[in-house]
Amino acid sequence: MALQPAAGARDLNPGQVDSNRRLCDLLANVYRLWGYQEVAPPTIERLDTLEAGGAIAERELVRLVADEPLGLRPELTAPIARAASTRMLGRPRPLRLWASGTTFRSFTGDGGGQRISEQLQSGVELLGEPSPAADAELLHLLLAAVASLGLPPRHQPTLLVGHHGLLSALLSQVPEEQRSLARHALTDFDPLALAALSLPDSQRQRLMALIGLRGEPVRVLYQLEQWLGPVPLLESLAATLASVTTPAAALGVRVQLDPTFQPHFDLYDGLVFKLVCQGADAPVAIASGGRYDALVGRFCSGSSEAAGTGFGFDVEAIRDLLESEAAPAAADGQAPGPWLVASATAAGLGAALRRMAELHGGGEAAELCTQPCADQAAADQLAAERGCRGAKWLAA
Amino acid sequence: MITANQRSPITVALAKGALLKDSVRRFQAAGLDFSDLLEEDNRLLMVPSRCGTARALLVRNADVPVYVAYGQAQLGVVGYDVLREHQLPVAQLVDLGFGGCRMAVAVKASSGYRRAADLPAHCRVASKFTRCAEAFFEQLDLPVELIHLTGSVELGPITGMSEAIVDLVATGRTLRDNGLVAIEDLFSSTARLIGHPLALRLDDGALQGLVERIATVQRPAHRPVQVPVR
Repeated sequence: MALQPAAGARDLNPGQVDSNRRLCDLLANVYRLWGYQEVAPPTIERLDTLEAGGAIAERELVRLVADEPLGLRPELTAPIARAASTRMLGRPRPLRLWASGTTFRSFTGDGGGQRISEQLQSGVELLGEPSPAADAELLHLLLAAVASLGLPPRHQPTLLVGHHGLLSALLSQVPEEQRSLARHALTDFDPLALAALSLPDSQRQRLMALIGLRGEPVRVLYQLEQWLGPVPLLESLAATLASVTTPAAALGVRVQLDPTFQPHFDLYDGLVFKLVCQGADAPVAIASGGRYDALVGRFCSGSSEAAGTGFGFDVEAIRDLLESEAAPAAADGQAPGPWLVASATAAGLGAALRRMAELHGGGEAAELCTQPCADQAAADQLAAERGCRGAKWLAA
Repeated sequence: MITANQRSPITVALAKGALLKDSVRRFQAAGLDFSDLLEEDNRLLMVPSRCGTARALLVRNADVPVYVAYGQAQLGVVGYDVLREHQLPVAQLVDLGFGGCRMAVAVKASSGYRRAADLPAHCRVASKFTRCAEAFFEQLDLPVELIHLTGSVELGPITGMSEAIVDLVATGRTLRDNGLVAIEDLFSSTARLIGHPLALRLDDGALQGLVERIATVQRPAHRPVQVPVR
């Protein structure tokens, strides 16, 4: 019999589950304060919903053996967008929803076999609001949620911001047949591929400058305006980013505008962002999101309300980050263990259960010692072994 | 030079072997001195730069993109052949020009095969670079049986285990001495400066500055003779 969890699946111990729940609760409190309502999208969806119009490659999906093509959700956005565009179509827009749950992704391990990674996500979706006000709300909500987590300053959080439309505008001068190659070279951070494109020198130099352009929003926006002129897109992006400057600075979050940044999943078609912290050795992405109007449009074609933005936190990445250095402090802060209720003889079980009920009635945790204990000392020793706060021993 | 407000010390993964000397030289010219790695009695695998603002990891060729892909090293130097074989999500930043060699199909000189398409279908091909070989023969529409070896690949045709090999050729001497001849090139390879994409996007200028200095510093006037890659 196999005694290990299947290919890549997680198997958490109680302390980790507690931390996950605590983090999810902290985030959920913030979502509720902002007027978001919880939904529970299905874990299983049709593959065509999960692939989100080709944005997510089929090889990244965990497929089920079933009569119809089904799979496990690789993220929460597409299932929520589907539900919002069908069952919740009659509700007034904008629709503010949040959800948390496990997501699944398939990948090929080093040994060549299929591995499945589970990820606990918690995130929000703001549907039916195409204006930049929704983007601003999302970024402010993200920062408020980060504030509730209490990340220590040593993690140096950075909010990486890009924009799909901005990149398209920058690429519009590139001849159409080279545009897709140029886009990939820019988003994959591949200056060698960019240099190899057959483009006029001036355009190649512009793209080489673009791949190195990132940093403080005001400076980057100024450079972009030199290239694109004062287009409305730049104005609205500048306004959105200016609105988050103060709360981000108060939290110690650096905002980095990177015109060529695009997230892994090709779901998005507007503002995109990723919140990255410095882990012990390597950068760790703890949240990502963006605008996905076209995805909503796939589910409710022809509607003027085909708009959506959202983000998701990677709860376990946050837990690992917070636990990596703060393990002893976290142990101190834990709730005390339960009492151990023991009796001297097997006949004392009834009395022990009544004693437990009293403790439970008073709001105290207590667990039953299922074997008789000779005396208080034996019960105390057992309680210490089990991590209980103490023993309540009942003489016969 | 390296700014004081950088987010964390820069870590560079460097490959042991033929590329090491030139890699150290290029970083030295750009302001990071890892020449302690070249000391003959050095056994340290993690070496700080002389200025103390960066550190180098000394790893095997194929492990350079792994350390960079996982973000433990922000930069690395490795041959293009390794990047083609392992296909990891790293950014290829600069073609450093040294470590030139080519990936080629080679057969016994006496075999009579003159190009890869001459090989019989389902023949055996031995290689360290089975992914490169697989992609090449697939594009030729020639089904072959690949045999993965970890070194001394030339013995494949000599012992009769395989009809052909796919391997790196620098000067061609190893092939010649073993009675083999290269019949077709898959691609040519040089050393590349690679980077962790997310670290590059989070960069506040320090990393980009270093990359630009490495790209623009004069290539060493003294071009050492390449050790034949085996």
